[in-house]
Amino acid sequence: MNGKCENFGRWWCSAGILLSCVLVGSPATATADEEQQPKPTEEGLRFFEAKIRPVLVEHCYRCHSADGSGIRGGLAVDSRDALLAGGESGPAIVPGDLEQSLLWNAINHQDLNMPPKQKLPEAVIADFRTWIEMGAPDPRASTGVVLKSRVGPEDIEKGREFWAFRKPVRPSIPAETEWARTNIDRLVSAKYQEQNLAPNPDADAHTLLRRLSIDLVGLPPSPQAIDRFVKSWELNREDAIASEIDRLLDTPQFGERWGRHWLDVARYAESAGKEVDLSFPHAWRYRDYVIESFNQDKPYDEFVREQIAGDLLPAKDDAEWAEHLIATGFLALGPKALIEQNPRQFQADLIDEQVDVTTRVFMGVSVACARCHDHKFDPIPQTDYYAVAGIFQSTATLYGGARTQRNRQPSNLIILPTDDPDPNVKSLSREELAEMRRRRDELEREALEARRAARQPQKTDGDQRRNFANQFLLEQQATQLTNQINSVDDNGEPITACMGVQDAAQIRNARVLVRGEIDQPAQEVKRGFVQVLSSENVELSSKTSGRLELSRWMTSPDHPLTARVMVNRIWQHLIGDAIVRETENFGASGPGPTHAELLDYLAVRFVESGWSVKAMIREIASSRVYQLSSAYDVERFEKDPDNLYHARGNTRRLDAEVIRDGMLAASGQIDLKRPRGSMISGFGSGMIRETGPAMALPQTPPGGPDRGEVRRQGVQNLIAAARARQSGTSFLDTTVYYRSVYLPIARNSLPRALEVFDFAEPSMVIGERESSNTPGQALYMLNNVFVLEQSDALARRLLKEAETPTDRIRLAFQLVYNRPPTEDEVKVSQQFLRGAMAAVGDTRGSGVRDRNEQAFAGLSQFCQSLFASAEYRYAN
Amino acid sequence: MNTDFSGFSRRAMLQTASAGFGFLAFAGLSTQAAESESSNPLAPKQPHFPPKAKRVIFLCMQGGPSHLDTFDYKPQLAADAGKGGRSGGRLMASPWEFRQHGKSGLWISDLFPEVAKHADELCLMRSMHCDQPTHPRAMTQMHTGNAQFVRPSLGAWTLYGLGTENDSMPGFVALNAPAASAQNYGSAFLPAIYQGTKVGRNQQRGGAAQRGNSNSGPSLPDISNPRLADNAQRRQLDFIQKLNKQKLAREKEQPGVEGVIESYELAFRMQDALPELMDLSKESDKTLAMYGIDEGDTDAFGRQCLMARRFAEAGVRFIEITHGNWDHHNRLKTDLPERCNEIDKPIAGLLKDLDQRGLLKDTLVIWGGEFGRTPDAQNGDGRDHNHKGYTIWMAGGGVKGGMSYGATDDHGREAVENKCHIHDWHATVMHLLGLDHTRLTYRYAGRDFRLTDVYGNVVQEILS
Repeated sequence: MNGKCENFGRWWCSAGILLSCVLVGSPATATADEEQQPKPTEEGLRFFEAKIRPVLVEHCYRCHSADGSGIRGGLAVDSRDALLAGGESGPAIVPGDLEQSLLWNAINHQDLNMPPKQKLPEAVIADFRTWIEMGAPDPRASTGVVLKSRVGPEDIEKGREFWAFRKPVRPSIPAETEWARTNIDRLVSAKYQEQNLAPNPDADAHTLLRRLSIDLVGLPPSPQAIDRFVKSWELNREDAIASEIDRLLDTPQFGERWGRHWLDVARYAESAGKEVDLSFPHAWRYRDYVIESFNQDKPYDEFVREQIAGDLLPAKDDAEWAEHLIATGFLALGPKALIEQNPRQFQADLIDEQVDVTTRVFMGVSVACARCHDHKFDPIPQTDYYAVAGIFQSTATLYGGARTQRNRQPSNLIILPTDDPDPNVKSLSREELAEMRRRRDELEREALEARRAARQPQKTDGDQRRNFANQFLLEQQATQLTNQINSVDDNGEPITACMGVQDAAQIRNARVLVRGEIDQPAQEVKRGFVQVLSSENVELSSKTSGRLELSRWMTSPDHPLTARVMVNRIWQHLIGDAIVRETENFGASGPGPTHAELLDYLAVRFVESGWSVKAMIREIASSRVYQLSSAYDVERFEKDPDNLYHARGNTRRLDAEVIRDGMLAASGQIDLKRPRGSMISGFGSGMIRETGPAMALPQTPPGGPDRGEVRRQGVQNLIAAARARQSGTSFLDTTVYYRSVYLPIARNSLPRALEVFDFAEPSMVIGERESSNTPGQALYMLNNVFVLEQSDALARRLLKEAETPTDRIRLAFQLVYNRPPTEDEVKVSQQFLRGAMAAVGDTRGSGVRDRNEQAFAGLSQFCQSLFASAEYRYAN
Repeated sequence: MNTDFSGFSRRAMLQTASAGFGFLAFAGLSTQAAESESSNPLAPKQPHFPPKAKRVIFLCMQGGPSHLDTFDYKPQLAADAGKGGRSGGRLMASPWEFRQHGKSGLWISDLFPEVAKHADELCLMRSMHCDQPTHPRAMTQMHTGNAQFVRPSLGAWTLYGLGTENDSMPGFVALNAPAASAQNYGSAFLPAIYQGTKVGRNQQRGGAAQRGNSNSGPSLPDISNPRLADNAQRRQLDFIQKLNKQKLAREKEQPGVEGVIESYELAFRMQDALPELMDLSKESDKTLAMYGIDEGDTDAFGRQCLMARRFAEAGVRFIEITHGNWDHHNRLKTDLPERCNEIDKPIAGLLKDLDQRGLLKDTLVIWGGEFGRTPDAQNGDGRDHNHKGYTIWMAGGGVKGGMSYGATDDHGREAVENKCHIHDWHATVMHLLGLDHTRLTYRYAGRDFRLTDVYGNVVQEILS
């Protein structure tokens, strides 16, 4: 492993490109390496005892110590750790750095006023200067606490016996039966016999093709595909299925469907969420990376390593390097409380989120439970959490943003080694850039003055408010300029940047925090992995974070969980229910597997196939279990109401994306080209409100005005969007025809087409979406503009592609239900169309229509009815 | 929206043209034959015994509000403040004063000055406990009794037991429901018609919604069709339902299809009823002021409370309002007063308004979260989750006012006296509604299920 690192280092230098970061607004997280300060000198300590401690005790302890009347503002000054941790506003002391030390600010009555009533004498203030500059020597180690875990080595040893923490082994395959076609069938049907269940018959051709199409690419089969499949099915059923599976796996739509499943667990979004929903204009690169990875059938182990440690992996060229860097966006795009004032609290929460997603998404165990105490159910001591946390603490997370009142925790971004700028960012001339910088600096100066003015005693309340408002406006304008300036390089050309991670400047172990509280650090813990999952002792280099080792450990063929967790998800997406039904909880509190041997079989096969997701999908989809009919049978239902044993297929509600994309596909409007970037990248950095610009800037419709023109119309668009919102419509419904996976995902304002049908909550790891059935969905299908327009488009298509009314009905059923209509269905459809013709004058508003218009309106309503019906919304 | 509409009423059409396809579907349900005289699953049903409450307004505080700083007065905690707590942190006194209120002299903290004026109507349940220490699971247990399996929610059981009095509205409405919470309003194996309908919150999620600072109030998108008059839409809907019905006939048992059928009928009726019910413009200035509407921080929750009263008046059986951001691991001192302030006046307004309209006597108002918080401090001035002892309160329909039931220990850490588990609370709520929780069962997959599983004792002491 060291050898590999060396090689990597050589390559890295020879490539001649140094990875640089773009600085946005403010330096990266200011977390000085307090814990590893040199030992204080005798002299320093004497100075503290003589000059500093008495002042703290006399003037500060009453409000800022654990023994006083409370810990105001979250700040205690009665220990060194507490001073370094600081309170709500940030660290009170940054040793050696007066500017960053809020205590210094406060005793000088700059932004804060402490002590509140009277400033300390100048001589005392000078002592504090001396003391902070000498590194703030302070002997008051708060506790010297060593946290003892209740989970001992023997518990961990015993824990390793738990089924999920043992390496999967290939089970013996039950004997051949007439019914079973594949090993999966043999393993599943063994349980039929135990449960005295007989499997349902196989699904018919139309049902199976629709199932395959939706499952594999998220789109309905076209009439041509149906024809081809049915003909081929009649010749040889097995061959027809096999070649259809291969065909679907090879289309670029496959990655859009399966990439979206991954984005659900990766809690992908293009904004920070939480209180202030600031945009992540570069997040889409990760989205595209995921889609491409699935399309290329990138080995899953590689896919995992790239997301955890892409920045540390060797790369053969710049393109691959860029891909690896973008992959680490996984760690950077979680929800963030950017309004948090205290950088240490923010960092602790950021690390916590990374520990949480890394362990749950890849390994199906929740280690973040151990942040404050030993894990309640699994033998994971609190120290394990901090061993993993140390890896992320030694990592710099780069997600962009500029400092404002609302964003107190901006960071850098990664500049990519490739020249592939965001198409939505326009270049600036050098003059424009210089002028923007000048104006920005000016605004910042004015804002500073306004802030000072607001702190002064005011004549009236009105003055105070004015000053605050003024300050806020000035800062906001300055931030907007900063964002624009940061989106281009020094020559004014748009930069190519991504979100992601890098190893931090300082590699250090984390200290256990008592009850997870940042001002109560206990002993240091060596960086490492989760003990119960790894029997070997890991030694991580003191030169790198350890992410590379973590990613290699997670993707070792011997790892008990990584393969199991992924095959379980693949099974769920195809079969409808997972084998372990809480897909991110393989621990002791989880439900365990319904088919332990099947799970192991799939996991072993997955690793053997070189971690090929496509091979796993092919194997499951080729099984007879996958191809069972979902038809109801009272006996099977009563014996196994939850379909634990898969003796029948599951009827499934379509995902939100499939419902929307399917309407576009049927209407012929669908645009299968991937849009470059994202609507949110077009909006740039900033806050997304419900009326916000991200929701307001239309993507250029096909053949519409160019992007620059659209941007210049920003204000009008805002107004239009606000109007549209009042009338309950969104421009997303009328101008955007690309696949749903490319719709803008702002955490606090999702596109309605997605939200109404149980889209995955983007702030959470969602392995399984909900599947509700609500009047809100009914209203959407009955009244939403998108649905109405797609119905019109489908009606136009029917008129164009079919001659007679009955042919149109037949074609409509093919396009929407992907099967021919029954005779009953043809009859009620004809009745409906005749009735609609007769009902001139039923429409809203004035205007008598002619017969053609009336006929078209009726046909459109007919199309909408098919979309609205239950059959469209479910796959059997 | 009736203006474009000539000659029909939606209700009349319902009775003639369609006569409820959905209801036909229900009549065909094999598992629930003869469950009710009516084929309409939402028709009002006779409870098991005369009810004290006819409807519920559940004010659900998401995140676990601190009982120690609001409704559970613990003088000993103040006395012992600073001493080591049980789990590492030090005991933290409540930063707020408690005072006695009303004739009953109930102790309530200064964070609820307006609600405190209704002390004599409140029944404080100070010995609540549940089994789940984490938010999602505790929330699910609070709503369904069971955190492990998907089970019907309290509101769904209520609707199943009693039906509803307004068939143009969902019988169970969830205002401002958080995302990814469908299970907590779901009907699980009960017919889908009994699940809660979320109103509001669309396009207003996450932080913005949790802070409850939207002035727009709840809304439901796509509530009217821009093209079709009602009779034309009814004709279209009839066609949709014919397709659905044919599918159901072909496939026999398809709960999803039944759910779709019902959801369309309800949605169609809601198009008329809902905008009118949600339109607060005809409420008097005095009423609006009583709820704190148009007053900044109280506006959003005030609107929801007023909406809840209007729904209650209109015959909606179970109304739930969620108010978020009560998870005070830190900054309790600054954040908790903000949360309390946002709801104090609106709740007081709701209680008063219900009372003056004669509705409080048969409306059960419930306030509470999924758990409470620890007496030990965390992160400076925060408190951790505490599911072993916390407080919820109830008022109105059938509960004794001005009383507290049960108690936690001296520090408020665990319920010790007259402990009330979620199952007991569920049993009590059912009882107030005239339902015997042991008899309200639903047969699913060969087994009888009930809200309280095999648990639950009605808390007799609090019944008026």
